[in-house]
Amino acid sequence: MAVVASTSQPHHTLWGDAFIRLRRNRLAIAGGIVILLIGLGAIFVPLISPYGYAKQDLDAILQGPSWGHPLGTDALGRDVLTRLFYGARISLAVGLFAQAIVLAIGLPVGAFSAWVGGRVDNIIMRLVDVMYAFPDILLIILLRAILGGTIYMMFLAIGLVAWVNVARLSRGQILSLKQQDFVTAARAMGASGRYITLRHLLPNSLGPIIVAVTFNVPRAIFAEAALSYIGIGINPPTPSWGNMIRDGYDVIFAAPYLMIFPAIAIGILMLAFTFLGDGLRDALDPRLRR
Amino acid sequence: MGKDLIIEVRNLTKYFTVTSGLFLQKRIAQVRAVDGVTFAIHKGETLGLVGESGCGKTTVGKCLLQLYQPTGGKVFFQGKDLCRLSEKELRPVRQKLQVIFQDPYGSLNPRFTATDIIGEPLRIQGIARGRAYRDRIVELLNLVGLASYMADRYPHEFSGGQRQRLGIARALASQPSFIVCDEPVSALDVSIQAQIINLLDDVQEQFGIAYLFISHDLSVVRHISDRVAVMYLGRLMEVSDRDELYKRPLHPYTQALLSAVPIPDPVVEAHRATIVLKGEVPSPINPPSGCLFHTRCPKAFEPCSTVTPLLADTGGGHAVACHLYPASQP
Amino acid sequence: MAPLLKVDDLATYFYTQGGVVKAVDGISYEVARGETIALMGESGCGKTISALSILRLLPASQVKIVAGQVLFDGVDLLKASKKEMRKVRGGNISMIFQEPMTSLNPVLTIGRQISEVLELHQNMKRRETVQEVIRLLNLVGIPQAERRMRDYPHHFSGGMRQRVMIAIAISCRPKLIIADEPTTAVDVTIQAQLLELLRGITRELNTSLILITHNLGIVARYAQRIYVMYAGRIVEHGPAQDVYRYPGHPYTAGLLASVPRLDEPRKTRLTPVEGQPPDPLYPPPGCPFQPRCTYGVPQCQRSKGDFVEVTSGHYSSCCLAQNGVTPWEKT
Repeated sequence: MAVVASTSQPHHTLWGDAFIRLRRNRLAIAGGIVILLIGLGAIFVPLISPYGYAKQDLDAILQGPSWGHPLGTDALGRDVLTRLFYGARISLAVGLFAQAIVLAIGLPVGAFSAWVGGRVDNIIMRLVDVMYAFPDILLIILLRAILGGTIYMMFLAIGLVAWVNVARLSRGQILSLKQQDFVTAARAMGASGRYITLRHLLPNSLGPIIVAVTFNVPRAIFAEAALSYIGIGINPPTPSWGNMIRDGYDVIFAAPYLMIFPAIAIGILMLAFTFLGDGLRDALDPRLRR
Repeated sequence: MGKDLIIEVRNLTKYFTVTSGLFLQKRIAQVRAVDGVTFAIHKGETLGLVGESGCGKTTVGKCLLQLYQPTGGKVFFQGKDLCRLSEKELRPVRQKLQVIFQDPYGSLNPRFTATDIIGEPLRIQGIARGRAYRDRIVELLNLVGLASYMADRYPHEFSGGQRQRLGIARALASQPSFIVCDEPVSALDVSIQAQIINLLDDVQEQFGIAYLFISHDLSVVRHISDRVAVMYLGRLMEVSDRDELYKRPLHPYTQALLSAVPIPDPVVEAHRATIVLKGEVPSPINPPSGCLFHTRCPKAFEPCSTVTPLLADTGGGHAVACHLYPASQP
Repeated sequence: MAPLLKVDDLATYFYTQGGVVKAVDGISYEVARGETIALMGESGCGKTISALSILRLLPASQVKIVAGQVLFDGVDLLKASKKEMRKVRGGNISMIFQEPMTSLNPVLTIGRQISEVLELHQNMKRRETVQEVIRLLNLVGIPQAERRMRDYPHHFSGGMRQRVMIAIAISCRPKLIIADEPTTAVDVTIQAQLLELLRGITRELNTSLILITHNLGIVARYAQRIYVMYAGRIVEHGPAQDVYRYPGHPYTAGLLASVPRLDEPRKTRLTPVEGQPPDPLYPPPGCPFQPRCTYGVPQCQRSKGDFVEVTSGHYSSCCLAQNGVTPWEKT
């Protein structure tokens, strides 16, 4: 007894379907392209730019935009455009790698707490609450004192204060998925807790987590810039958009563009990630399918 | 234990405790979801378990499969007491005990293909691999009336009725001898229900599988069951052979249930008297004393509010728990 | 006498990314004063959308009413202004929804929700509504009305919430109530209570009732006339007794034959309706039921769904039903 196929629609996998929907969202695509361009620029800047980020040219200080220096030079004669792209490396790296730490800690903690449930879940969540209430700045200053001003410290510091949200999110997702019949069916087949978590629960909870992480990136970028601005971030001469703004502040009346260009760069990158995040959220929402 | 008795449940109870508190979790209330249920199912037989929402019938099914840990009582499968087995010992037994769910949307992992879904019992239990695995999947698909080319499709590409077929194929994969069917057709359109019921019938006949058929739909239960048990607020009110129950319902609740089901025939309906129960179903946290049904029973009298009637045989395998029948006196 | 409500050739389309879904594809029905009709069909047939179209409660972005008239007491509701529609909703026509969990506002007491309707339509002040609210709660059988009107929806069971919905629906003495699957989410004994209540009230107030359901039994018990819907169209309509005794359309006949009946001897095997409903994005040509129909003839693919009379007042859109003679059996 053969039965007629249900939908006459083309066959997609779930990720494929989400990707198609994402493609339709122009803002998200624009955001993605901007990120890609900035990323490529950041990677290839040593090959493209004739200047290094630390190369000083004391004969050419505080010059406005010109053919030789499209965005001008700073107080030490360094090329702003080049420094911006080197700074992009910092921003992108911190934005993205901090998320790796966030996922590495937050996801398992939340998932474990939700799967075990009961008193253990209760205790873990109270500890998470304590972490959440802990002032981020103090933790960062502490880490800075111990680890110094390297980029790795930035990853760690920002990651360690941001994992809490992902933990809560993954716990919530897994708690609601635990109730689903397909999980009960797997238990009825004799599946172990590990199998269920890895094959059923985590893959289905990825959607909102991916979106949350994408939205976390602009926050991390901004956090790094702010920290570098107040001096507890990246050490000079390594350019970060934050410390470029601080340097620009010293000469704000002579060359206001030195503050403006990095600020615009931060804004553009954050906006690009936000558009992408919006698009991902819409694309991954199963209810909005078709 | 009889030679072809496949499931025996004795005095099954399941209480859920409601707790509150930060760390210490004080118990503030207890939900008596299942409160002393006893029945038996023979090989190849279908026991219909009817009742309304909250009566505990789904909980009974889950306790049978040890998906909930029963608070008390025993569940025997082919003579073995399942409640005494550890999860590890239970694993191989699970091949023989399967379940079909009500919700064709929630019972399938949306990220699994049909092959993944149907083959999951084979993978978890290590029953088949490689070529044998693929062949078995195709065999199961055809068995439930789905075309083989649909093996790589995702649940969202199937209709509700087809998803239920996938659920049935999955339940059959490990060649079970007993399946708990938890409202398998309630979420389907009327025109599809008959298809799935026929499929369940065919499968049972072909493989000799016993069913616990849980449903609130009395017409469907009558069609597929050999014997029927009526549940209310965690206890059994009446158990009997199918024809006997529908011809001579003894318990007032059964009578009210049957009367409440509208029959698809205006002429018949125009001449039918309906028993309309008063009041709402009491809360299982605070169940009534004596006979659980007495607060809504049109025939309640003196002992009903104080003495709990026993589920007792009134003759010919027809058991009822009601003071109207002397056998129920403790 | 002119019918209270006359829906004429109503068509409502969904504009989706995949294409146009003709959720309601040219349907006509009418309800007389005090009459109870049933709009019967399965999920996706368009019955709920047609009701929402009458009250113009559709989300504006993806859905449009593209054709037809809805004459209520002689006035075309589809052409009415937004202000006039607001007066009609709850005042002249009220609706009871399926899901009692979500149709009541969880942060308002039920007394407040009932009085809200009274304030809007009867121009009563909050204080004056109290007595009326108590009266209505008593009417729908909610005990201890004075105390319970200060409770919130989550304090009530599903059946009780539906009673509250009924109270809201009748509060302004509407001429027409549309009940969309009002008892699908409740148990069968509560269903009996609610429908008996609804029948009693509609009789007493002489209110017309459109009962939207997929349940053949409910239709048989409560409806005088029935309209059978399939894939956005009406395939059969007529007095309930006639339609059940002499189904004029193979879909109706198929449904009736496939349902196990408590009052008949048990069959060893059910006769299902094979196949499944068509994909709304790609409807078949001609008669929408034709891919599943065992009686199809080549003419079916060109059928435009014109009605033929089966018996007096009883019509079917099947080209094979002429003068009550059909190739399928009578029930």
